[in-house]
Amino acid sequence: MSEQTAGAGPSRLKTFVTAWTTGWDWRRLILVALVLMLVYQVVVPFGMIAWTSFKTARPGDASFLDLDFTLANYVRAFGTPRFWSATWSTLAFSTASTFVAFTIGAFLAWVIERTNTPLARLVGILLVGRIIIPGILITISWILIASPNIGLLNHLGLWLTGVRNIFNVYSFWGMVWVHSIEMVPLTYLLLAAAFQAMDPSLEEASTMTGAGVWRTLRRISMPLALPAAGAAVLLLFITTIETFEVPLLMGGRAGIRVYATEIFFNTSRTPTDWGISATYAMAMTVMSIILLVVYFRLIRHSERYQTITGKGYRPRRIDLGRWRYVTSALSLLMVFIITGVPFLMMLYVSFLPVYLPPSMRAFQSMSLVNYTAMLEDPAEALIPMWNSTLLGLGTATVVVLVVSAIAYFVHKTKIPGRKALDFLAFSSIALPSVVLGAAFLWFYLLVPIPVIGTLTIIGLAYLTKYMPFALRFVSSSMVQIHSELEEAAQVAGVPWRKNFFRIFLPLLKPGLLAAWFWVMVHAYRELTVALMLARSQNRTASVVIYYLWENGSFMQLSAFGVLIFILLIALVTASHFISKRYGVKEQY
Amino acid sequence: MTATSPTALRLVKWAVATSLLVAAMTPLAAKPAAAQADAALTPAEQIYADLAKLPTAERQQRIEEGAKKEGALNFIHTWRGKLARDHVAMFQKRYPFLKLDFNDMGSQDAGERLVAEEVAGRHLTDVVSMAVPDLVDILNKNLIAKYPTPVTTDKILPQYKGFSDPQNRWVTFYWSEFGITYNTDLVPAGHEPKGWDDLCKPEFKGHVSYDPPTVRFLVGIWTMMGEDKAKAWMKCVGQNKPIVQRGHTQRMELMIAGDHWVQGENYMYTCYEKLAKDPKTPCKGVFSAPILGVGGAIVINKNTQHPYTSALFADWTLSEESQVYTGKNFRGPVGVKHPFIPDGTNIFAYGIVPDDVLDNSLKYWDEYVTKVN
Repeated sequence: MSEQTAGAGPSRLKTFVTAWTTGWDWRRLILVALVLMLVYQVVVPFGMIAWTSFKTARPGDASFLDLDFTLANYVRAFGTPRFWSATWSTLAFSTASTFVAFTIGAFLAWVIERTNTPLARLVGILLVGRIIIPGILITISWILIASPNIGLLNHLGLWLTGVRNIFNVYSFWGMVWVHSIEMVPLTYLLLAAAFQAMDPSLEEASTMTGAGVWRTLRRISMPLALPAAGAAVLLLFITTIETFEVPLLMGGRAGIRVYATEIFFNTSRTPTDWGISATYAMAMTVMSIILLVVYFRLIRHSERYQTITGKGYRPRRIDLGRWRYVTSALSLLMVFIITGVPFLMMLYVSFLPVYLPPSMRAFQSMSLVNYTAMLEDPAEALIPMWNSTLLGLGTATVVVLVVSAIAYFVHKTKIPGRKALDFLAFSSIALPSVVLGAAFLWFYLLVPIPVIGTLTIIGLAYLTKYMPFALRFVSSSMVQIHSELEEAAQVAGVPWRKNFFRIFLPLLKPGLLAAWFWVMVHAYRELTVALMLARSQNRTASVVIYYLWENGSFMQLSAFGVLIFILLIALVTASHFISKRYGVKEQY
Repeated sequence: MTATSPTALRLVKWAVATSLLVAAMTPLAAKPAAAQADAALTPAEQIYADLAKLPTAERQQRIEEGAKKEGALNFIHTWRGKLARDHVAMFQKRYPFLKLDFNDMGSQDAGERLVAEEVAGRHLTDVVSMAVPDLVDILNKNLIAKYPTPVTTDKILPQYKGFSDPQNRWVTFYWSEFGITYNTDLVPAGHEPKGWDDLCKPEFKGHVSYDPPTVRFLVGIWTMMGEDKAKAWMKCVGQNKPIVQRGHTQRMELMIAGDHWVQGENYMYTCYEKLAKDPKTPCKGVFSAPILGVGGAIVINKNTQHPYTSALFADWTLSEESQVYTGKNFRGPVGVKHPFIPDGTNIFAYGIVPDDVLDNSLKYWDEYVTKVN
């Protein structure tokens, strides 16, 4: 084995060098541009964080840039029970949340995209519309729904059974529940594209051999969705490692501290302990890289999952017979719990001057004052909303273009070193937002590029932040496209660029749309990075939301949440009709 | 083809990444040293030293003339949203010739922002409003201009003089109060806590909430009680099943809604703001226990590009219109009567604390109260 490896080294190096020094074309140039862009966008901020983790001096101290390094932060972090306790909590919280979110999300994606379940489209719209509601609002809504003493469910439970405090949202499983249902729309979006791109002929063949719907699902559909499912699990897990709102608002009371809250507390004290925060960020990075390696091993035989070939591609829905009413009822119930319950709570709270559990006094105190207060100073709200819109649209478009190219090189070419692209683009997922925001602020303060105070600096940070997510969306769709399409194009003399834009991008449409939408919405509502980089001219809507929360107006914030939810549902409905008219209608 | 990358390739990748990182950082390495080595007065500090020698009227005239020439101010307000905007709007109305560019953010974030800019040699911010205990880092880095001004002597009421800085490094224009508040529906009259030690009583077990670590509060408790008593207090708080939850405002909302009985640590104004909106709101402050008072101050960047406008703004914050506005919005004014704290209340004012107080108060709070279960 060692001999093989030793012998393979020089040979592979020679292949690598030969491949990179001959045959330059457009494709190679784009690849180089991508590598440079990734180095700039990912390696530099990551390098700054790694650097900080090996320094006891803080950024700004004279010795911070000296070339003397220390493991003191690692000794300090790893040497305490708190680190290991946080590691355990992070892993347990992430595993449980991923399992719950994946199970519910996969079921809903299958029902909506692959079956003839009645009202499936409505379920999809409500599910996707849910993403726009800020996480902080959802978390607080669930606190009001299921916390001891004041939770609505506990009031109901007491009234029905006479037992006090049946539910306790301030617990491990309370945290898992609230965070899981927050991630169900992400799971749905990740899997929907893969389900849409599934070759029905395999399922038809299975059915013809006598296998029932469930057996076909288990033996054919699910294995074919393995890359997308793997990507979903990977993203859900890493998203949970990084998640902030639920551990912050519930974890303290539940006695659970995870990496994200440890970083937050270390960056919220004066002076900020950047060294220990960077060390936690490094631990998160290692976890993410391990997961990424597992994922790559899982999909190493990518040709097994290629379902879109040159032999015809026409997704078809599965007829569930009478079961379709059961799946309809189940998915409606789930989407009611995921979207409806917190939305109704927000709606209720938005009419109150101070929070009161439902009672005669509460209903008597209701008014529209929170809505009128929101509209009192439209300029202050409109400019940030416009900034967020620009950032959402711009970031989503750039990110999707970049990751499409990356996914193409990684999965559809044999250029040596291509996997490094995937690692580079994906590794930034491990950078906590607060650390990423700080790294960008520091970098652009040091480098004389005039982007501070503009939307560009936030957009650049978002490019780094959202590339990993969009990459998994697009990659899992890319591996489903058979290489024979490109080979046919090459035989026919079709240039690479034409092939990429005319064949790959249209076939990737479901994955691209899902990635674009996901990035757009998350860039619109992103808070931590925007907060770090905000100045008077580049303030975003989420910064306004945060200040509303900080200023103690959860009622007013709920009114804002209700308005943007209604607005987004209208937008999603409109985009659905537009896409049906001009886009992917052939799939239905 | 094996999955292992060749060593040479890894070395190339490492070298490229490292050289890019170093290339990005090295040219700027000299800046922090240069910034710190400058012991002489900056132009702004020289202006302030000269202004201090002038009679009050002439001084004011010189500041206004200078501000007119500068015409701009970039500053960070630690108040948020509408509260900050309306405050700034009053200043703008008073001096319409100024172009104001302001951001609002938390006190600690404001300090980090100033440090980042100055270390990078970018003098973008003129003035920052911060809580005094959060000034440690920027004082240590010598980023603040000393600004002696007669308004601190003339306008600050005697009972609030303790918030002033004898070395003129900051201008205090408001103060925040950490105290005990409780839900009047859940805690019957006569049974409310009277002092800080009462929070350890068995009848309050599991009913008192705190933020995980509010540094400003902890250093105040430590300074007021002294090390031994503070440690003992934190220990007994930890043993009394505290509710530890992030978010001062959120905790107040929850307490008022009936989630728990008492706020062991919170800004009292969050209760009185709500009472002003709805007098039936079931919350009340405890004024028999000493209240921890933290100054909120204006600090001027020693490298400010608008020294006169910075001085104008610092002085204006202590003007009557600014102080009345502060009081009307339930922040603690220092130039007019407090909106809800009765006269004669024991207020323990504190400011900059030694590093060991900061470290120890956090350490013991973590150990006794926010310990991982």
